[in-house]
Amino acid sequence: MHTGLLASLAAFITGLIESLLGHGFAAQLIMVLLEIIAIFAVISLAVIIQVYMERRICGFIQDRLGPNRVGPFGLLQTVADMIKLMSKEDIVPEKANRLLWGMTPMLLFIPAALVYAVFPFDEGAIFADIGIGVFFVMAIMSQGVLMFLIGGYASEDKYSFMGAMRAVAQMLSSEIPIAFSILAVVMVTGSLRMSDIVSAQTNVWFVCVQPLAFIIFIIAMLMETNRTPFDLVEGEAEIIAGPFTEYSGMRWALFFLAEYANLLAAAILTVTLFLGGWQGPFLPGIIWFIIKVLIVIFIFMWIRWTFPRTRIDQMMALSWKVLLPLALFNIMATGIGIYIYKWIY
Amino acid sequence: MNLYVIYPEITVLVLALALIIIDLLLPSEETRRPLGYITILVLSILAISLFWQYHLTISAYFYQGLFYYDNYAIFFKQLFLLAVILTVLFSLQYIDTMKYSSEFYSMILFALTGMMILASANDFLTFFIGLELMTISFYALSGFGLTNKKSSEAAIKYLIIGSLSTAVTLYGISLIYGTAHSFDFAVVCKNPEFFSALGIAGMMMITAGIFFKMSIIPFHMWAPDTYEGAPVPVTGLLAMGSKAAAIAVFMRILFEAFFPAADYFMPVLAVFSAICMIGGNIAAMKQKNIKRMLAYSSIAQAGYMMVGICAASPQGLKGVLFYAFLYVLANTGAFAVVTVVALEKKGTDYEQFTALSQSAPVLAMVMSVSLLSMAGIPPTAGFAGKLYLFMAVVEHGYLWLAFVGFIMSMLSVYYYLKVVRVMYTGKSDGSTITISGAVRAAVLISMTATVVFGVWPQYLSMLTDFAAITFLR
Amino acid sequence: MNNDLNPALFYFLAAVMLLSALAIVYCRNLVYSALFMVVCFLSIAGLYAMISADFLAAVQIMVYAGTIVILIVLCIMITRRTTMERTNMPEKKYILRASVLAGLLFFLLAYIFVNSEVLPTTNNIIALSGDTVSGLADLLLGHYMLAFEIAAVLLLAAMIGAVVLAKGADEK
Repeated sequence: MHTGLLASLAAFITGLIESLLGHGFAAQLIMVLLEIIAIFAVISLAVIIQVYMERRICGFIQDRLGPNRVGPFGLLQTVADMIKLMSKEDIVPEKANRLLWGMTPMLLFIPAALVYAVFPFDEGAIFADIGIGVFFVMAIMSQGVLMFLIGGYASEDKYSFMGAMRAVAQMLSSEIPIAFSILAVVMVTGSLRMSDIVSAQTNVWFVCVQPLAFIIFIIAMLMETNRTPFDLVEGEAEIIAGPFTEYSGMRWALFFLAEYANLLAAAILTVTLFLGGWQGPFLPGIIWFIIKVLIVIFIFMWIRWTFPRTRIDQMMALSWKVLLPLALFNIMATGIGIYIYKWIY
Repeated sequence: MNLYVIYPEITVLVLALALIIIDLLLPSEETRRPLGYITILVLSILAISLFWQYHLTISAYFYQGLFYYDNYAIFFKQLFLLAVILTVLFSLQYIDTMKYSSEFYSMILFALTGMMILASANDFLTFFIGLELMTISFYALSGFGLTNKKSSEAAIKYLIIGSLSTAVTLYGISLIYGTAHSFDFAVVCKNPEFFSALGIAGMMMITAGIFFKMSIIPFHMWAPDTYEGAPVPVTGLLAMGSKAAAIAVFMRILFEAFFPAADYFMPVLAVFSAICMIGGNIAAMKQKNIKRMLAYSSIAQAGYMMVGICAASPQGLKGVLFYAFLYVLANTGAFAVVTVVALEKKGTDYEQFTALSQSAPVLAMVMSVSLLSMAGIPPTAGFAGKLYLFMAVVEHGYLWLAFVGFIMSMLSVYYYLKVVRVMYTGKSDGSTITISGAVRAAVLISMTATVVFGVWPQYLSMLTDFAAITFLR
Repeated sequence: MNNDLNPALFYFLAAVMLLSALAIVYCRNLVYSALFMVVCFLSIAGLYAMISADFLAAVQIMVYAGTIVILIVLCIMITRRTTMERTNMPEKKYILRASVLAGLLFFLLAYIFVNSEVLPTTNNIIALSGDTVSGLADLLLGHYMLAFEIAAVLLLAAMIGAVVLAKGADEK
């Protein structure tokens, strides 16, 4: 069987450890640990790259330079920022609910990292190819909003709390269009398994089969990840920084980290569901995967820096009155389409 | 798959959806009265068409033993349809004063769908979903009096206690599934494993859950407050439809799924039935509000119907069907009057009924006949119904139960007649109540039917016999 | 999964589940109660995952644990005072009656469960191997199709009712 670059690498390392230890089970255990560490490394690295990208793209679109002093082309700017954030004083609001308040930034990272377990990075390179893949992603993603709410509540601050309420409203109304647009893809594939969804796109990407679902998915994903034009959870003029108002230093950095981890997850999900995953001609799968993900992230950033923000009521109306009916219509059309397809063949 | 079998449900459902869409198309200042007329028309045609569905041959299933379409189910479907038609008829005016009237109509139709599904349900899954459809529609309907605090209280109380009972039912179903490995009534009763301690615990929980819906005495806490607070048509439907649906499905579960254990159930049911009759009637005496009084009286009526279940014979079953039918008729009359009074006098206490005979003689007469029928006074149908019930149970050996029922019927005459006395005595404030044609039609139908079936019970009794005998072979 | 690990994992999850269930009842802050509910539901999801019911586990996380967010929002909106302390106080009046009843029920059910035989699982319709989703879909869209369709009606009815009640008397 032909395997991708990453999978061959993993097999090679497994073989190496096994020959060193002489015990199959221990080697597999170590491999699992290594894979988990690799996923975390990917997330951390990706965050640094994304922050740099975001600033440079923002600078480019706004016709200015962006960071260019620290390191070559300003590449080390993010690292410098991280050092700054780590060395900042840890300010805890006096009235805050210390336990919940302190727990939230760490807990927020769990769902953000957990979804990576089912993403196929390359052929055969998937941590857990479970039968309910996409559904698992949706279930885990829906947990993120709880942390926003807890953080906002525990800060005991009205802006935080209002921001948390807004986050709840926004994320709940974005989850339903996401679920329904994914459902159309699942209907075409006939499976929830991530690797099946990717291999179903060998001949034609789902963005061609399901263009409406793709557009709904992208818009709803922007809502889910709190990015402009739907970055309503924060708003300097209305609710300051929303649920993160009282967080500073390292704790705030964790929120930031989770936000970019979510952005990467959204991009990976878009690529996997609609853009053929790791598949592509000539180059190895992992390279294609990285190229596609970077392009999707670039599109997300492009949208962010060119569109104005919406109001919360506009966003809710868009989600419930436009995206949801369209997604439902799309499901019906897909069902009829599949029926006709089966009838012809 | 036999789609023909579910045509009544499909009709009702399509009607409910059509009403919502028509509501969107109508200009908002337009009255929603025509929607009520459409509902009545369609449901009447459906109810009449069901007469041609009674059959002597083997009954049809929807799919592999699920959703049984036998005479028993058809009879109950007609009963629910009649209850809803009459309720809509007498409350057209009341619903007009509501804010979301078309949604009200469609919620009633959703509840009706749930009841009709319950009448046919032949497996625990369909039973549970049908029960939930009915109950959730009623949760919302109880809260439809949006400006009325009591209505919200009614909805919340019903919701919380109802959810508890749902949880208990569900736990019971899971235990039954664990022992019998099936949801199907026919399969469950044949499994020898089923008659174990686990299975019995499951049976008890399911029974308790249904008793909540039937408002049998230890599980009746929600009934008085919900009945009092809910909008009057909803109270009427809760008393007629919801209760009858619970009884319909309870009898099916008892005599099909729990059949091996049915004999052991009877003494327990007899005790519950006696408690219900005694408690309901005594509590009803103390009430100051007519709706509350009717709530307790409906608890007592559920007790009477349980008497028929205890008989465990076609005669007893026929008694239950007969009684359920005329209970719908009597309740329609009573609740129609209460609706009009609630609308005109803004209240349903005894004072609001003072001298009703002078302001609205027809209403006072209908109310009297309906209450007498509930009490079981001879020329009305209530007498015939109770006669069938008590005769059947005496044949089965529960003499004491018949005795309790008889004594309690006598006692109940006291509080029913108290209303009559209030209506026919006292000084009128000179106002007259104008009655719309629809209400007049509803009350006259109910009164005529009550008297006719009291004098000539054999016509209705033929139908109920037919339904009961094919059910209990 | 490694078979030696299974009982230990089961007892761990069960203990977490029970303790968090107790915490739901005994926490005096409604928000804490709701958060313990999340823990409780997650450990139930873990139990489902242990018996290879992966779809059910994900549903448990998505539907139940996910809904807690709304529960917390409602808790705070309905009961909020200056703080959320003392929002979930025990009702002292009924404590004796309630505990007697609960104890009785517990011992009765415990007696039944301990004394009943180990349930045979030969009759299961969904084979334990492999794809639970398609097995579930076959059942729901095949044998129990009617119940599935009625569930759709149920959701519609619940939605209409909720919208009407939520819009309330003020708006039109």
